[in-house]
Amino acid sequence: MLTTIAFRNVFRNRRRSAITLLVIVFGAVGLILFGGYKNRTFYALRESTIRNRLGHLQIYKRGFAGAEAQKPLQYGLENVDELRRAVERDPRVSMTTAQITLMGLVSNGEKSETFMATAVEPEKDRKMAAQRITAGSDLPSNEPDAVIVGRGLAASMHVKPGDYLTLMSTTTSGSLNAMDVRVAGVFMSGVKEYDDRAVKMSLPAAQQLLQTKKIERLILILHDTGDTAAVHSTLARSLRDVEFKEWSQLASFYHQVVMLYNGIFGFLGIVVFAIVVFSVANTILMSVFERTREIGTLMAIGTPRGTVWRMFLLEGVFIGLLGGVLGLAAGALAAFAINRMDLMLPPPPGYTVGYSLRVMLQTPILVTSFLISFITATLSSIVPALKASRLKIVDALGHI
Amino acid sequence: MDAQPPLKAIVRLEAIAKSYRLGRVHVPALAAVTLDIARGDFLALAGPSGSGKTTLLNLIGCIDKPDAGRVIIDGVDVTAVPLHRLARTRSETLGFVFQTFNLIPVLTAYENVEYPLLLRGAGRRERGERVRRWLDVVGLTPNARQRPDQLSGGQRQRVAIARAMAGDPKLVLADEPTANLDSETAAKILDLLQRLNAETRCTFVFATHDPALIARAPRCISMRDGALVAEHAVAA
Repeated sequence: MLTTIAFRNVFRNRRRSAITLLVIVFGAVGLILFGGYKNRTFYALRESTIRNRLGHLQIYKRGFAGAEAQKPLQYGLENVDELRRAVERDPRVSMTTAQITLMGLVSNGEKSETFMATAVEPEKDRKMAAQRITAGSDLPSNEPDAVIVGRGLAASMHVKPGDYLTLMSTTTSGSLNAMDVRVAGVFMSGVKEYDDRAVKMSLPAAQQLLQTKKIERLILILHDTGDTAAVHSTLARSLRDVEFKEWSQLASFYHQVVMLYNGIFGFLGIVVFAIVVFSVANTILMSVFERTREIGTLMAIGTPRGTVWRMFLLEGVFIGLLGGVLGLAAGALAAFAINRMDLMLPPPPGYTVGYSLRVMLQTPILVTSFLISFITATLSSIVPALKASRLKIVDALGHI
Repeated sequence: MDAQPPLKAIVRLEAIAKSYRLGRVHVPALAAVTLDIARGDFLALAGPSGSGKTTLLNLIGCIDKPDAGRVIIDGVDVTAVPLHRLARTRSETLGFVFQTFNLIPVLTAYENVEYPLLLRGAGRRERGERVRRWLDVVGLTPNARQRPDQLSGGQRQRVAIARAMAGDPKLVLADEPTANLDSETAAKILDLLQRLNAETRCTFVFATHDPALIARAPRCISMRDGALVAEHAVAA
């Protein structure tokens, strides 16, 4: 009967309940849309970070992370082919690619600059596509002494595709070495500081410059990001003398974005929470005022205080449930509509192409939105319900 | 608890005083009222508004506390018990009928009568039997599924009476039960109340200034300025 009374009372003042429900629904839709957008952004950023730059796993020689090498590639991987065969036996691994990073001086004969080079396997690097070629061609696979240089570095060195530069660096034995390279193309990664120093060269060229057969790291790309930890532990059991880094340990930008967006989402959650609290509390409080005489009657004929309290609390629960469910439906519908509209957003900082606005509906977001609406509505009816249960019967009965 | 009151009295009031605060002044509502109400009485409290009738009913009904004196209901001194602890007494011993009917608007006639039975923890079958019986007694069986706003004033008051009576109370308190009804309907309500009094021996106490009701009450007490001024038995 308590439930019946509470439930019917929700529909007693239809307009007021409708407005309250609308507030909850808007809040829930806001949370669902922003949450879905956040999820989609995380997903896109994570996958592009992994597939274009970091890979899911990176394998180094044991000791690489802990010790500062005294010479270049002191902690480099030997027997790359063997390692690669062992790793690629795992069906979850999609691709492996070897890399070396090195630093040195680059000169055009008239002036020198420092450079940071990444030595890659050209065909595989093209699949990762971290950069955009702005002039010339991508790194050719059949010309070991070709390089592509960052846009800033190209400007500073006054080179265009076809020109030559000299790279100078320290070999693995500690002596200086230099080699001439041909600029095949100019690229842009979107990050200016990187483009001002960046060189990409082929792995054989770097090994020749450093006078070594070693590589620095082997990058693994998996079919499914969710397998990262599992592949890591499988490989860690079978491979000796190496150490691993997962993408998550390396993706500091990704983690910053996640933190920022989660912060915004949390703030949005608090705003919605506050609005729903006031709206529901107001509704229940108005009900208490309007129904003061009814409360007096209920108590006069023997309803205990606790029952009156529960009756009004239940009203909040019903409003919360109703608002939560309607909010879920409206949020899902809005997300669907937005995804269908295919809206384009301008390129984010550090990127050159825009991306389409997509909302990714995942269970946690839906559950969170529902719970926020539901719990908030329930919590905010506690005080008004308490007020109702503490009314003095005589005063309440005399209330018009 | 001293001086067990004679079992004959369902209500015993001993030197009751009650005043209200109106702004900064204390307005006396009852002064030194002593009264016994016997089981089976059909008692009218008459008097102009402000004479203390309602206050007296509230004190008997355990929904208000006296400033001084003792209230003994069915042999139990309820004076010292906090009002919210008396919910059980109110639901088991007392029945209430209000001037403005005070039904629960979201409940049907049937559910309104059932409500106090639920409070008392009555089982499903018992509730069904009692509700049907009492709706039949007050002549509202066809209206069982209607809500208060679909019922006339007289019908509403009859639902209220069924609600008050459904739990077999020992005492029914009615504050101006006919004041919001036309005279014909009021007369029918009075017939009903008198019949119930005769059939169930339940005690009825009214606050009223309806001459028709006063005329029909076997016992009538007049009040003025918070005191009992006259008691006269009316030949029924």
